[in-house]
This record gives sequence, structure tokens and C-alpha cells, in this order.
Amino acid sequence: MRKRLRLIGGGLRLTTGLLVSIVFILPLYWAVIASVREAGAPPPATIAWWEPDPHWENFAAVFEIVPMAKYMGNSLLVVAGAVPITLLVSSLAGFAVSQIAQQTRDWVINLSVAMLLIPSAAVWLFRFQLLVWLGLLDSLWALIVPAFAASSPLFVLLFNWNYRRIPAETFDAARLDGAGAWTTWWRVALPLSRPTLIGVTVLAFVLYWSDFISPVLYIYNPDWYTMPIGLQLLNQVGSTNWPVLMAGSLIMTAPVLVLFLLLQRFFLHDLSLAGLFDRN
Amino acid sequence: MASLMQKRLRRDPYRLHLRLFLLPFLIGSLVLVVLPALATMAVAFTEYNSIGVPSWVGLENFGRLMRSDYVRISMVNTAIFVGLAVPLRLIGALGLAMLLQQKGRLFGWYRAAVYLPTVIPEVAYALIWLWIFNPLYGPLNLALGWLGLDPPAWLATPVTARLAIVLMLSFQIGEGFVVLLAGMQTIPKSFYEAARVDGASSWQTFTRITLPLLAPWLLLLTFRDLILSLQNTFTPSFVLTYGGPYYATTFAPLLIYEIAFDFFDFGLAAALLVLIYLVMAIIVLSVLNLVQSRTEFDA
Repeated sequence: MRKRLRLIGGGLRLTTGLLVSIVFILPLYWAVIASVREAGAPPPATIAWWEPDPHWENFAAVFEIVPMAKYMGNSLLVVAGAVPITLLVSSLAGFAVSQIAQQTRDWVINLSVAMLLIPSAAVWLFRFQLLVWLGLLDSLWALIVPAFAASSPLFVLLFNWNYRRIPAETFDAARLDGAGAWTTWWRVALPLSRPTLIGVTVLAFVLYWSDFISPVLYIYNPDWYTMPIGLQLLNQVGSTNWPVLMAGSLIMTAPVLVLFLLLQRFFLHDLSLAGLFDRN
Repeated sequence: MASLMQKRLRRDPYRLHLRLFLLPFLIGSLVLVVLPALATMAVAFTEYNSIGVPSWVGLENFGRLMRSDYVRISMVNTAIFVGLAVPLRLIGALGLAMLLQQKGRLFGWYRAAVYLPTVIPEVAYALIWLWIFNPLYGPLNLALGWLGLDPPAWLATPVTARLAIVLMLSFQIGEGFVVLLAGMQTIPKSFYEAARVDGASSWQTFTRITLPLLAPWLLLLTFRDLILSLQNTFTPSFVLTYGGPYYATTFAPLLIYEIAFDFFDFGLAAALLVLIYLVMAIIVLSVLNLVQSRTEFDA
């Protein structure tokens, strides 16, 4: 009796889980269906679950209506600049935090946590002012600069936690062999932190690829528009051209989605790693 | 051996280099985050248009805020949003984490599905929901009609426009979901076995074991969500409604943006930011007080 009840409970959980999953996938699925409808055709009168005659040319139209290829190039430049800088700054700082005296470590960790509580709106005004003073306003550098502060203090904390899990003898042995701080970090610490490196790379990529507010605030010259601004332009040019709008949204989502699908098993299947993935 | 090691360690410039490693992060944070945030607080008491020199005006900006209808509306909107979205997102994340914490390949994919909306870039996500919420032929209203329900006008009327933004942001809860999943892994399985032996109902197990042991995590997420609500309404209200209809979705970040970057009234924008941050701090402290007086837990 009890066994049967548990079996029913398990089945119920499985079915509820399936329903919940469907609900969470639905928005993206609806976008996919809408993206391949014929552009300019009368809108659907009943809900569409399938498109028998997909119009893939909508995806090409995204690049014709606005210069999306250029915006995509700019976005890629920002990511190519910001992600390596983020990795360098955060892993160096994380290494230092994990190795220095307890007192300094506590101080830096407290500072990092406090900075996580500062909303981005709080720095809008003077980030703008600073960029004006530095002559970086209205350039791609305006979008890259946060990388010099490790993009998020969380990344420094992630690297610190990672290095703290490595036995101290590993580092001491390297130092006795005559390795300096730089070599110890590059040859010993970094190779032992692959999951964190992958995690921070993905999170930083998503952060800069998706960033909409910074270009709205700091970019005025259309030559430096990034993809999020391109999408908003697409929306302003033809706000009723739903197939093309959805195609544009999906193009922008695609790289993030691919990364997520490749890496989700690291943090969603193996639950012990779950704590690593707090997105800021 | 030990003394030799210590001697060598003392002699090499290792410690100095570690400090140097820390420097880029500290300088970057100081220049890009800490000083701008402090400067914003200072400018709240001045008149400043981003060019020229700020001039001290004391509390005048705060007086202007109190007299402004827009500020009052945006405060009410923000309060409604926070009051609905923060609990909904938290309860949603908790419920889903409890439902999907099972082992097994299938549940791994379920968890991935729940996390999925969180990774979609903001503007793309907003545009997708702009389509979903379309009152005439958006899939949501067609689905509601198909179910025989009366479809609302969503973004076209004030009340439903606010609800729409709460609804769309309630799907982006991957972060809280993953944090709570991690939190649940820290609860020893033996607690649940003991409860089952004692014949506790599942509700009792939830209120006596799961909830108290997750309390620190839930508290952390509440605070983070409160802070986040100072920024995550910006893109939806900017792209979907631009603050409308009738200012119903003019949340605080959008108003700050308009005051600062349309009118270049940096002083007033900074004052609004300080005011909202004060309100948030009061909420955080009273929640903390409430929790501490109710329960005693150690994080």
C-alpha cells in the first residue's frame, strides 16, 4: 500500500515537472513559431502550435532592415575585450585573496559582498561623468570598462572559493621550487580551476552580450551600436513586423542558448556545483 | 627544514606580488563602483546638470521629489511591483526547487527548462513578451480564448500592464532556483528520515525542517531581489510600454533615467536614488528584525 502510494507520488511529481517545464519553454517556443510565419501575412486568428510552411528568410531580413551585422560585430568586439579582461582581473584578485593574510582577506570579501548590494542604477550618473572625463563616452570602451573591476565582485569570490579548496601544500611546493607569485598563479592555480574558468567565462559572456542599459546610456553614435540596441531599432522601425522581430530576438538568443545547453549539465545535473552559478 | 622554508618564503617578493594582483580589482572597483556611488549620494544635495560645477542646495532636491506627482506615481508603481514580484519570484523558486530536486536524467532536463528563460538576453526577452502579450493575436490571449477565458488587454491598461511585467519577470527565476537547490543539498537526509519515522506529515516536514533550514538562503534571496528590482524593471518598461499606459509602468529606474539623461538634472535623479535606497534599507532592516524576533537560526 505504502509502496504504491509512493509510486503514485513519484508519477505525480514526474507529470507536474513535465507540465512546469512546458510552461517555462513555451515563451521561447511561441517566439520560434512566430519567427517563421510569412512576414506581412494576416496575424493568426487561432493559436498556432506548428508552422507548416516555415519562412526562414525572416532571419535574413533582420540583417537587411537594420545593419545588424555591424551591430553584431560590435557586440562581439565588446565580448572579446571584456571577457578576457574580466578573467584576468578576477582570477588574479581571487588568487591574491585566497593567499593573503586572514585580515586582508576578510576585508576584501566584505567589500565585495557590500558592492554586490549596490544597484547598477547607483553608478549610472557618475559612470557617465567618468566616461566623459576619460574621453571614452560614445566608444566601445564605455561598454568594456566594467571588466577592469572584474565585472562583478562575485567572480572574484568564485575564484577565491575555488583556490581555497586547493590544498595549501600545492602552492607551497611550487614556491619551494622557486616559482614566484606570477608562475604559481599561471602554472598551478589556473590549471586547477577549470570549472570556475568556464563558469565565469559563460557568465561574463552573457553579461556583456545581453547588456542593454550601458549602450542606452553611453552610446550615441550608430557606428558603435551593439546588438541589443539593434533589436530595439528593429522594434522601432517595424513594431508590427512580428516574424522579423522574433527572428531578431532568436538570433540574439542563439549563442547564449547554445552555451547554456552545452554547459547546463555542469550546474543543473550535478547539484553539488549549483552554488557556483549565481548570476549578477 | 621548516625554518629553511620560512626563510625562503620571507625573502621572496611573493607577498608584494599578491598585493599587486589585488590592485587592478581594487582600483577598478573604487573608480567604477564605489566612488561613483558615493558621488551620487553627495550630488543628491546639489544642483548639477553634468556640466559645470555642482552647487549646494541642501535638501531642496528632496523637497522637489516630495512635491512631484511623477515621483509619487513611480514610488507607488515600484512598491506594487516589489510587493508582488519579490514574494512571487521567491515562492516560485522555492516551490520549483522542491519539486525538481530529484535525482535522475529527466529531472536534470526539467531543471534546465526552468532555468532557460533566465539566460535569454533582456531585450530579446522583452520583445518575445511584447508578442506574447499582444491583446489581439498574441499567443497568450489566443490560448486564454481557446480555454474559454476572457482575454485581458495586458499592456494597454494600467493594472494589467503592471501585472504583465510582474508575470514576465516571474519566469526569470533561475538564479534563486539554483541557489535554493544548492541550499537544499546542505540539509542532511537523516532529518527527513527521522521525520518520516516519527510520522510527520509532509506539511510538518516542510514547516519544521525545510523552511527553517533554508531561512538564511531565503533571506539572502529576498534582499538580492529587492536590490535587483531597482534595475530589472528598466528594460521591460523601456521596451514594452515606455512607462505607460498613464505612467502605470514608470518604475523608479525609468524615472531616474529620464530625469538624468533626458533633463540632465543629475541632482534630482541622485536624490531619487538615495530616497529609494533609504526605503529599501528600511524594508531590509524591518524584515531582518521580524525574522530575528520570530526564529533563531544560525547562518
